[in-house]
Amino acid sequence: MSRGAPGWAVWIAAAIGLAAWSGLAARVPPVLLPSPLEVAVSMWEHAAVLAQATAITGAGALGGLAVATILGVAGGIAFLWSRTLERALLPYALLVQTVPIVAIAPLLVIWLGYGVPVAAAAAAIAAFFPLLTATHVGLSSAPPARVELLRLYGATWSQELIKLRIPGALPHFFAGLRTAGGLAVIGAIVGEFVGSNGAPPSLGNLVLRSARSADTPQTFAAIGCAAAMAIGFYGLIRAVEWRSIGRWFARS
Amino acid sequence: MTEHVAAPPVEFRGVDFAFDAGAPLLADFTLTLPAGRVTALVGESGCGKSTVLRLAAGLLKPTTGSIAAGDPSDRAFVFQSANLLPWRTVARNVALPLELRGRGDPARVDAALTAVGLDDVRDHLPYQLSGGMQMRASLARALVTRPGLLALDEPFSALDALTRRRLHAVFSSAWASATVLLVTHDIDEAVLLADQVVVLSGRPLRASEPVVVRRSEDGDPRYSPEVGRQVRAIEALL
Repeated sequence: MSRGAPGWAVWIAAAIGLAAWSGLAARVPPVLLPSPLEVAVSMWEHAAVLAQATAITGAGALGGLAVATILGVAGGIAFLWSRTLERALLPYALLVQTVPIVAIAPLLVIWLGYGVPVAAAAAAIAAFFPLLTATHVGLSSAPPARVELLRLYGATWSQELIKLRIPGALPHFFAGLRTAGGLAVIGAIVGEFVGSNGAPPSLGNLVLRSARSADTPQTFAAIGCAAAMAIGFYGLIRAVEWRSIGRWFARS
Repeated sequence: MTEHVAAPPVEFRGVDFAFDAGAPLLADFTLTLPAGRVTALVGESGCGKSTVLRLAAGLLKPTTGSIAAGDPSDRAFVFQSANLLPWRTVARNVALPLELRGRGDPARVDAALTAVGLDDVRDHLPYQLSGGMQMRASLARALVTRPGLLALDEPFSALDALTRRRLHAVFSSAWASATVLLVTHDIDEAVLLADQVVVLSGRPLRASEPVVVRRSEDGDPRYSPEVGRQVRAIEALL
């Protein structure tokens, strides 16, 4: 990706961003846009509750991402196994993708009660589709000559899957997982808007409560934690990706 | 290194073949190739010579007619690209055919790597190899099962002239007594490497009578005037 690009570029961009933010914040009332310093102070004051909320939301997002990964990979393999199954089930997958999470969150609360499971379910719904399509496209995109090679030696369907299609699908899978990681955080927070009553605190609940009481710095602090978490997921997935396939994928 | 039981003859009898809904590529196609010899199939690009090769190797099935080319498990194929799995080391790529048949045999992998001169890079990944070395790895993978029938689909076409010259020697010393089918659009290469040359042309495709390559054992056949005459004779058939 940006390997080889100078490391200072990100700091220059951050400095410009912070300066622009401060400049704008100085011209509008703090309740509309708090300054970076006010947000930092709020973060410091509410450090304990923010940390707890981040852990709770993180648990929901990660749990949902794990469920979505298992279902997405299983679905991708099932679609490869049978075109009929793909035809039959793809509409359901599209349905899951297109139904707004805010709209089904109240249902999730009825089914699962308040708490982390609602956030996890919402995260799973948000993250599922990119994982399904990435896995399916990855598994289907084995070059014909490689498929011919395996068939020449009488490879079974499962040998073809394990020795050729799954390793070849990893680059696609990781691209899908990176997208899904961010979506899982969004899904968890939207789930928490409805499905978290604030005990224990969650980022979704903190955003909602602080915005209602016009405590904008805290809203920003909670959003900052959510963004940091999403970036953390991205970095983590990138690291695993680089370790597992970087050596051959980057240059082939 | 290929000490196979028996190299089979290849026989196409009344073969029809067409790709889905296309005009017939082969109609009542007949071709007999002797066992244990190197036959070059020469023709213009797109004429269908690769299809004939894939039919012989069993990668395609004829619509009607029969193709005898020994036991299916006794065949190997070298593709136009090296076609290595990029996540496997050279040695593990070469071991793949044995692995798929559930008979891992490190000694055979070593022998195949030695035959193509790749012992030094056995633990490298394909991207770390030059195009010529990748092609050698691909040949080693084909030789590791000690096939009776070796089918090669323009294996040198993507290489530079110098590498191609070096690989000609590596290939012709490695394929030993197998029945070899070499598809190429390079007549000089065909005359250099093959015992006989078959020219494929027309639609539906027709095979010429085999032109038997005569060469003296001493010296580089490339420079013998006899080769030049044979090249011109084959060109006349195209």
